[in-house]
Amino acid sequence: MAEKSAKNVSNANKGPNPAKPKKKSSKDNGTRNLVIGMILLVVLVGAGAALAKNRTDTHAVLPSSVSVADGYGVTFNPKAPVKLDIYEDYQCPHCRDFETVNGKYISSLARAGKMHVVFHPITLLGPESALTAAAAACASDQGKFLDYHAALFQNQPASENSGAWTNDKLVLIGHSIGITSAKFDTCVKSGQYTQWAMNVESDASAKNINSTPTVLLNGTVVPPQAELNLAALKNLFRAAGVK
Amino acid sequence: MRSRGIEMKKFFNESVTLWLTFAARLLLGGVLFAAGYLKATNSAQAAAAVRVYRILPISLANSFGYALPWIEIGIALLLIAGIWVRYSAIAGGALMGIFILAIGQAWARKLAINCGCFGNGGVSADGKVHPWVYLAEILRDMGLLITAGYLYRFPHGKFGLDRLSE
Repeated sequence: MAEKSAKNVSNANKGPNPAKPKKKSSKDNGTRNLVIGMILLVVLVGAGAALAKNRTDTHAVLPSSVSVADGYGVTFNPKAPVKLDIYEDYQCPHCRDFETVNGKYISSLARAGKMHVVFHPITLLGPESALTAAAAACASDQGKFLDYHAALFQNQPASENSGAWTNDKLVLIGHSIGITSAKFDTCVKSGQYTQWAMNVESDASAKNINSTPTVLLNGTVVPPQAELNLAALKNLFRAAGVK
Repeated sequence: MRSRGIEMKKFFNESVTLWLTFAARLLLGGVLFAAGYLKATNSAQAAAAVRVYRILPISLANSFGYALPWIEIGIALLLIAGIWVRYSAIAGGALMGIFILAIGQAWARKLAINCGCFGNGGVSADGKVHPWVYLAEILRDMGLLITAGYLYRFPHGKFGLDRLSE
C-alpha cells in the first residue's frame, strides 16, 4: 500500500511540477552517493575521535605528585591511613562553595601530613575546565598546588564556558600567589598537561562520577549535608580516625 | 469534468504530502542535529548524561554517550538531505522510543537527573526529581516519534536527493 501511494506521488509530480528538470539517473546517483559518503565520513570521524579522545593515554606527560593508581589525581601523603578523594571541576560553582567552607581545613590536613588527600580536577562542564586543570598541574610542579587550587576558585568567573579562563589569565594567577619560575609560564601556555587532565576525566567517568563536588572518604561518598558544613565534615573525619 | 476534479484533488493532496514530508524531515532532522551538535561539543558531559540513567553498565554507558551525538548528527543530515528517508525515519523513531523509555524509567525510579537531550546532562542541579519536566520531555519525544512514523509512511517529499535517483 505504501509503495503504491509513493509511486502515485512521484508520477503525479512529473507532470505539474516544473521545479526539477529530468536528469540522467547516473548523475543523480553520483550526487546522492557523494553526500552519503560525506555524511558517513563525518559520523565515523566524529564518533571515532570522541571515543579516542576520552580514553586514558598511558603515554601522557604527567605532573609531579600525581598517582596513576589514584586515578591520576594530585596526591598528598599517600602513606596516611585515612584517604580523601575530591572530584571537582574548576568551573563548578558548587565546588567553589565547597572550597569556601572547607578548603582551608582540608589544605591544612594535607600540609600537616594528617590525611591522604587526592585531588581530581575533572572536566565535566567544558574545555575551560581542562585548561584550568592543566594549569593547576603546572602549579603542582612548582610545589604550589594547594595555593593555586584555592586561587582558581577565588577567581572563578560568574558564568561557565564564557571564555574568561585563558592561558594568560592562568599565568597571572600563578604570579599572584608567588610563582616566579619561567617554567610555569611555558608549562601553562603549552598546555602540556591537557592530556593528563583528560586522563583524570576518563578515570572519573569510569568510576561513575557524575556531579561535582564528589567527595569520597575512604571510598564512601560524603553526604551532601556534610559538604557545606565544616563542623559536620570535621566530625566525619574524626570518626574515620583523622587527628 | 468529474474526472478532472478528482485529478485536481488528487494532485492537491499529493502536493500537500510532498511539502509536509519536507517539513517533517526538517523538523526531525533539525531537532536531531541540534541535540547531536550540543552533545558532541562536550563529550565528557554527554557520557555522564547516559550514566545517570543507570540503565547500562558504566563502560557501555560511556561508549554510548560518546557515540550517540554522532549517530544523531548522521541521521539528521540524511533526513535534511532527503536520503534513505525511510531508514532514517526508522532510526530516528527508534531513538525516540529509546529516549521515551529511558526518561520514563528515570521518572518511575525517581532519579533526580537532567534529560541531557540537548547537552547539560548529569544529576539535576537542585538534587530534586522534576516529574513535570520528565512528562514534557516524553510528550516532546512522542511528537517526534509520530513525525518519524509519518516519514516512514510518506517518505517522498520536496527537495530530496532520493527522488532524483528514481
